[in-house]
Amino acid sequence: MLLLTDYLILGAILFCISIAGIFLNRKNVIILLMCIELMLLAVNINFIAFSHFLNDIAGQVFVFFILTVAAAEAAIGLAILVVLFRNRSTINVEELDTMKG
Amino acid sequence: MINFTMPDFTQAYPEMFVLAMTCVILILDQFLSDARRSITYYLTQLTVIVAAVLTFNQFGTDTVVTFSGMFVNDSMSVLLKLAMYVVMIGIFLYSRAYLTKRGLLKGEYYALGLFGMMGMMVMISAHNFLTIYLGLELLSLSMYALVAYDRDSMVASESAMKYFVLGAIASGMLLYGMSMLYGANGTLDISAINDSINSGTASKQIQAFGLVFIIVGLAFKLGAVPFHMWLPDIYHGSPTSVTLYIASAPKIAAFAMVMRLLVETMPGLQSDWQTMLIMLAVLSMAIGNVIAIAQTNLKRMLAYSTISHVGFILLGIIAADKAGYSAAMFYTITYAITSLGAFGVIILMSRNGFEADQLDDYKGLNQRNPWYAFVMLILMFSMAGVPPTVGFFAKLWVLEAVINNDMTWLAIVAVFFSVIGAFYYIRMVKLMYFDAPEDEQVLEGSADMRLALSLNGIVVLGLGLFPGSLMALCVAALA
Amino acid sequence: MGFEKIIFYFFAAILVVSALRVITVRNTVHAALFLVLAFFTTAALWLMLEAEFLAMTLVLVYVGAVMVLFLFVVMMLDIDVSVLRAGFTRYLPVGATVAVVVIIEMSYFLLGGFDNSKFTPVKHGVEYSNTRAIGNVLYTDYLFVFEIAAVILLLAIVAAISLTLRKRKDTRYQTPGNQVKVRKSDRIRIVKDMDTES
Repeated sequence: MLLLTDYLILGAILFCISIAGIFLNRKNVIILLMCIELMLLAVNINFIAFSHFLNDIAGQVFVFFILTVAAAEAAIGLAILVVLFRNRSTINVEELDTMKG
Repeated sequence: MINFTMPDFTQAYPEMFVLAMTCVILILDQFLSDARRSITYYLTQLTVIVAAVLTFNQFGTDTVVTFSGMFVNDSMSVLLKLAMYVVMIGIFLYSRAYLTKRGLLKGEYYALGLFGMMGMMVMISAHNFLTIYLGLELLSLSMYALVAYDRDSMVASESAMKYFVLGAIASGMLLYGMSMLYGANGTLDISAINDSINSGTASKQIQAFGLVFIIVGLAFKLGAVPFHMWLPDIYHGSPTSVTLYIASAPKIAAFAMVMRLLVETMPGLQSDWQTMLIMLAVLSMAIGNVIAIAQTNLKRMLAYSTISHVGFILLGIIAADKAGYSAAMFYTITYAITSLGAFGVIILMSRNGFEADQLDDYKGLNQRNPWYAFVMLILMFSMAGVPPTVGFFAKLWVLEAVINNDMTWLAIVAVFFSVIGAFYYIRMVKLMYFDAPEDEQVLEGSADMRLALSLNGIVVLGLGLFPGSLMALCVAALA
Repeated sequence: MGFEKIIFYFFAAILVVSALRVITVRNTVHAALFLVLAFFTTAALWLMLEAEFLAMTLVLVYVGAVMVLFLFVVMMLDIDVSVLRAGFTRYLPVGATVAVVVIIEMSYFLLGGFDNSKFTPVKHGVEYSNTRAIGNVLYTDYLFVFEIAAVILLLAIVAAISLTLRKRKDTRYQTPGNQVKVRKSDRIRIVKDMDTES
């Protein structure tokens, strides 16, 4: 019999991996965007596990909307990335230091 | 099997109208030549005004929760929406001058701006975690796109990328916290969670655990220290017309989000979030005011000043009673108006190829144009909290609420840092009045821009002389 | 250990390993492919939680659309990976240690906070349709947020197009209106041959 906490700990592990990925890959924006997708995936696992174990459909509906928003977010994020690459010919975040103060 | 009551659509008329008009504007704009682009502008302003009328009709009615608990209309939402419309009219008016001068005036700006406004309306009227999240994303996504709006600008695309990544992380944090509260309480509805917390059946430990993530997410979105890193870069790098947007209206929506998420959802966990907010508020006031002194760029300076003002707004929430919340609401609304005016002056000063964002650009403004120097003087005094401007009363009432709740030390810390903060506002005044001008260019601005900016200054002064009526509205909104 | 548990740990292990590979691989294309793997295994885990509709949506929307978009952008932009990786190994030990500590702390809270005996899922029969259950509430109780989600998608379209669409001066366009308006007389000129005529 699977327990709620099994899924929650899996979600926590994924969440931490994504945060660690954000810190380790500070230079590569595409990997950063992928880490954000992983983070949302971790949250989604939580919601679906709760939804199943609480017998409440609201959690699944929330995930449905997170998926929608994440798709829109990815589209806008990649559009900004393309604009950035056109201007800078790099996606290295550490070179993004035009502004100081 | 389906248990469904028809929602009361009349409550959502403003939202529906704005959505319909945004679609009309999007389509119509495709058929307009650049010379007739002002039609888009006037339609946008019309949309905001009609939405304001529709919202005004809901003024004074009882609290209505509809759309199966997703949407709420109470006196707070009506007042905050009305304040937001006023600020939005100013935003669209000022940014038109900026965009026209640079050949950036396109229909997308207005469409994205209206989408953002719709996001704020949804946030203000949210009564469910799902509504809060979707409203927030609608606002944030349009802001990301607006920051990158001037797509040939290197700094703009850079700051858009930073804003996007940090904003997405903040949303992730907020969602993780929401998932924990959902798990602990078994519902996403704000009042149901409140009941569940008060009944004490759910695990206290998990709720505190989820609360930490929610506070981190909120702090990111508000720009409170230590989650403020993005804010100066975004203010600096965005086109001034977009900085103007980010720095004013969304603060009102952010205040609504804090009220809905903390005050309405979790009064049962008040002592937990109070402690966390005290840390955020003290750090924000300290770091914001001290680092602002070192800035030579006016937009960056105003960014750090925003951080310190966020600290002050949080103080009102920390006071955690009706007086504190209404003081924080008054502070937020008046700060949004003041900030709008300050960025309006920057836009008036700038011309194509000259952003007027250095402090030195304001040297001797009084000799060049005494009236706008005076308007800027009022705005700076208001931000510093000098009487008789409105900023003084905003600060006074927040401090009063804090002291009445036996947190005198917090009030002393706040006063101490606002005295430090006064330095850089006064320096600005010194530059304008006592230094010789380096730039002799005559200020040029359209008649409506000049009129609106003058009005903006007068409002900040007038609300300072007669603060009672707005304060009474804020108090009534929370009754 | 029951069969269900074995399956769960099998998929969970794949998910964690592929997530780790996403953040550690050198090649961005590989990272994207590992992310696809992570989404597939998550979909399998969601099937075990009786969230069939969302499992399918995850595969269709994420693997089918979002990840393809990612791969498209990765391949469109010519990225020098080696520069972007500099400093990675330097932070790795610290990052890994902090992550492990945080995971242990979070697990402590989660295990202490949730009493598993209180969370007992109802076993649904074969006639239960997850899609129907979601659909029933999506267009009724969640009507308002459903509309907002639609607005967000519209916003994404407007934003992405306004940011990336560029008209090049040397590109030639077809104007369908003019194509339709063309008459036979515009294209064909009938030249009468004088010699045969007479």
